[in-house]
Amino acid sequence: MASGRDVRDMLGLPVGGETPKAAIQKRAKPAAPGKKIQGVAREVAALYGERPPPVAVYEEKKSYRAKRQSTGPAKKWVPQPFTNQARSDGLILKHWRRKPTSTPAATNGEDIAMEDTEISDSYIEDSSEFLKYNVAPDMPTFTEEEYDAYLRSDDWSREETDYLFQMIENYSYRWPVVWDRYDYQPSLKSHLPTSQEFPNDIEQALATLPFAPPKSRSVEDIKARFYEISAKLMKLRIPEVQMDADQYATYEILTKFDPVLERNRKTLASALMNRNMDEVKEEEFLLAELQRINMAANRLDAEREELRARLEAPIPNQQVSAGLASFTSSQALAALFSQLFQADRSKKRASGGGGVGPGRLSLSATDLMATPTSAQHAQLSAANRRQSLAQQAVQTPIRHLSPLAELRYNVSTHDRLTSGITFGADKLLKMRQAKSNVQTQKIGQALAQLGIADIISIPTAKVGDAFEALVTKVGKLLDVRKVREKEEGECRVLEAMKARRMSEIQSDENGGERRSTKREVSDSQDRDSADIGDDDDDDDADADADADGDADVDAEGEEEDEDAEGEEIESQMQSTRQASEVEVMSTRATSAGHKRSASVLSQVSTKSSKRPRK
Amino acid sequence: MNISNSTTAPNAGEYAGDEVSAIVLDPGYSTTRAGFAGEDVPKSVCPSFYGHIDSDPPHYLFGENAIHDPLGNLQIKNPWGSDGIVEDWDTATKVWEYAITSRLTGNRPGDPTKNGLNDGNANGNGEAMDVDMEGLENLENMEKPLEDSPLLMTEPGWNSVKAREKYIEIAMEEWGTPAFYVQKTGVLAAFASGKASGIVIDVGASHTSVTPVLDGMVLKKGVQKSPLAGNFVSNQIRMIFKQAQPEIPLTPHYLVKTKTPVDAGAPAQATYKTYDIPPLDSFRYNEEERVLTEFKESVVEVWPGPGRFTNGTNEEIAKSLPGRPFEMPDGWNQLFGSERYRVSEGLFDAGAALQDADNPRPKDEHTIPRLVQAAVQQVDADQRPLLLQNIVVTGGSTLLYKFNDRLNYEINTLYPSTRNKLIAPGPLVERKYAAWIGGSILASLGSFHQLWISRKEYEEHGTNIVEKRCR
Ligand SMILES: Nc1ncnc2c1ncn2[C@@H]1O[C@H](COP(=O)(O)OP(=O)(O)O)[C@@H](O)[C@H]1O
Ligand SMILES: [Mg+2]
Repeated sequence: MASGRDVRDMLGLPVGGETPKAAIQKRAKPAAPGKKIQGVAREVAALYGERPPPVAVYEEKKSYRAKRQSTGPAKKWVPQPFTNQARSDGLILKHWRRKPTSTPAATNGEDIAMEDTEISDSYIEDSSEFLKYNVAPDMPTFTEEEYDAYLRSDDWSREETDYLFQMIENYSYRWPVVWDRYDYQPSLKSHLPTSQEFPNDIEQALATLPFAPPKSRSVEDIKARFYEISAKLMKLRIPEVQMDADQYATYEILTKFDPVLERNRKTLASALMNRNMDEVKEEEFLLAELQRINMAANRLDAEREELRARLEAPIPNQQVSAGLASFTSSQALAALFSQLFQADRSKKRASGGGGVGPGRLSLSATDLMATPTSAQHAQLSAANRRQSLAQQAVQTPIRHLSPLAELRYNVSTHDRLTSGITFGADKLLKMRQAKSNVQTQKIGQALAQLGIADIISIPTAKVGDAFEALVTKVGKLLDVRKVREKEEGECRVLEAMKARRMSEIQSDENGGERRSTKREVSDSQDRDSADIGDDDDDDDADADADADGDADVDAEGEEEDEDAEGEEIESQMQSTRQASEVEVMSTRATSAGHKRSASVLSQVSTKSSKRPRK
Repeated sequence: MNISNSTTAPNAGEYAGDEVSAIVLDPGYSTTRAGFAGEDVPKSVCPSFYGHIDSDPPHYLFGENAIHDPLGNLQIKNPWGSDGIVEDWDTATKVWEYAITSRLTGNRPGDPTKNGLNDGNANGNGEAMDVDMEGLENLENMEKPLEDSPLLMTEPGWNSVKAREKYIEIAMEEWGTPAFYVQKTGVLAAFASGKASGIVIDVGASHTSVTPVLDGMVLKKGVQKSPLAGNFVSNQIRMIFKQAQPEIPLTPHYLVKTKTPVDAGAPAQATYKTYDIPPLDSFRYNEEERVLTEFKESVVEVWPGPGRFTNGTNEEIAKSLPGRPFEMPDGWNQLFGSERYRVSEGLFDAGAALQDADNPRPKDEHTIPRLVQAAVQQVDADQRPLLLQNIVVTGGSTLLYKFNDRLNYEINTLYPSTRNKLIAPGPLVERKYAAWIGGSILASLGSFHQLWISRKEYEEHGTNIVEKRCR
């Protein structure tokens, strides 16, 4: 508007000419939002005023819609009377069903009505569709005599016991509900005549004596009584010795229920729940602390594990054996580091699993409920408890033989059986084969050296085991041999370096500052410089580099064996070291690269292990 | 029946539904909800209040239109007692029957109590009867309103045995239903949210209740109720109006003829209607209540926490927040500042409630947090965390703005070490009619049909069968 006015001003037009234009513009303005609201009468739109309408108005767009497929004449539905098989009273209700007959459609409304009544008069559907939901809990039963002989209790009258059983059946073993609704009122009428009938029978009189005030029963009392009766009845029906595993397990659960223990557990659980905010915060803090400590401890363990693995059974690592040359770039190193870190973490998670994970700070429903005793009860109370117990029984071995008998009858137990048949000879043959051809050959040679035939005539399980042990040992031996060769090479390199340095330093004539200058140059830790000075330490630095590489490969196996072997090799290494110094110069170039990357790695790994400890 | 693929039956595996055109009736203090099972909202929502004109014979008026008509000497009453159980059974029966017949099943022809009230029924009939000619045909030989439909009723968690027996008696004797069942509102509200276990917090008009539910069964020992609910908030608002300087006039719609706009806080400029024979006080009170409900919907807010409204500087903070405007039917209007928090605070903090001679200080144990605490205390320790993970919120008064925020805050301070989760359906109808919806789900399940109490069983065992069967 301002620009129009300016223009008019410039052109010298009268200012008065503006008014009609402004009026036109004003009239045009309210029309603009009006255009947006479509599908609304103009008068209604005007009522909105300048504000947006309180309800979003959507115009139903005319869009393409698939034409409705004609499936013939309209299908008829009728209110079909039916009886429910789960009911005994023959209640007839009506539900809508497709009209069963396919008589041609009547055009007259009255006709339809007549037909409908005809059908509903003649036919009542007998519906068993939902019969499967009509389940009743199975309850232990007992006779009068059994009760008198075994099931009496000083605390529970017969009448109350019956009431209890009724309640449990009514609420299908839902103990909290049973307890909630438990309201036993002893009726005097039923007691008095019985006590008069048997005036001499003291026991009977006692048992039926009304308990003056109705006792308030806790969930544990109720459970204890029911379990006790169930256990006794179970024992009566099946003597203990004849019970099969799952029956016995049930029986054990029933007899081992301890109401006092349960009660204490619940007191603790509710105390845990009723903590106030400060206590919860404190717990949170402590848990965080614990997590930190655990992390540090795990890291320490992992480091030790690595060291031990290195000393005991050097496992060839693809990456390392491929040469550390692949880790020369910083990117590759970073990738390796993150991979190691990940492996470390996942290991920790696995070990920290089970009970209270360090990350858990809040309480969940399962936490309180998953205590062993209540879990067992839950199982018990389940209507299909037999099934679940039967599933458990599959895992439990039924009968144990003494080792001697086992040997005699050649019985062996397996955690898992593979399907199909295998020959012992095949198994032995398979063991001879390694991943690579060279390795297979080497194993073959070693075995030949030991004087073992290519085909073993009677490959019994025992022979198989012995052979397997032997082959693993041979494998280890070969591994160790390989590593030894590599280490020797390194030693030679380092020694040559050392010799060269010594001569340099001597020419420098300043032995005191040697260490500090070295540190500045290589920017690494003490250990690196110690490497150079000390013979015994050089496989330590290497262990760092190497074992980091195979941190995720756990060294398993018989430690003692490996220990012995490891020592042997160590001494061998010492002796061969001097002899092979000649080769130093040739391997120098590659090992220099090796050295550098090793120091970087050791630096990184010590750093990462230090962080959580702070 | 208007679904597009009405020619195909629902897939059997899809849901275990088997609809028998049961009727679900959910009577509450403020409204009575009724509708066919299997539908997702009650078709008929009628006020539980009824009109009564003292004459011989007394004249009763039912339904939304009738009770807001300012007739001479008209009284408005409610059949519910102050203890949350029906008191006046005769009129309760009539109110409920009206809720069923006015929209669902059609009227008994020629019933004298219905004369003059059938104005709206012609099309109501058509709506309910779109099923078939069958319905029309039955209408002729139908004598009692529910001859053809099983009835599922809801009851408050604390309903007495006598009241339940009365329910089945009414349904069987007066309405002639072939099958009957009664279930607690708490359980049904939990079902409506898809939960079989949980704690149901229901803040209705006359009562607030907290109901622990486990596997679809109410834990009776834990059921808590208190009178701090919608009506309590209404009374708080009345007190705010009365204590304001100058007093805020509360004039219901029926007294206003014309009004002119006035500035905020200025006296109203309106002409008022006068009646030769005016309706009685209870009519005015009910009309005022309508205005107050509007006020609750648009102005009242719950202090969301942290801390109570009266704690520390919270009140100062509330004062600094922008106010909300409200206009009375006569044109009087004002911005409401921190007062709007004050009126709802009593639900959570008894000490903060306004008091006067008619409205004594509410009891501390009646506030919602204390009710929840008491309910949880009465449940077996093993189940408590499970219940606190499923806190179902329902009832019209929980629609107060920020109600859930506050409730969440209060429960988390009560139980900081458990995982507490509020389940509050967003849609308005689901919150208001949760119990009805749960009933609608339950009564349309095929597996439910074995639970009905049939007429035959009723005749065999009498009214006390309801205690045995509806546990
Ligand atoms: N949007 C709303 N905001 C606040 N209160 C409301 C709202 N809608 C309804 N109410 C209140 O809710 C109460 C009715 O709730 P309802 O659950 O239907 O009660 P009842 O089950 O007792 O009939 C009334 O007191 C009414 O004022
Ligand atoms: Mg309600």
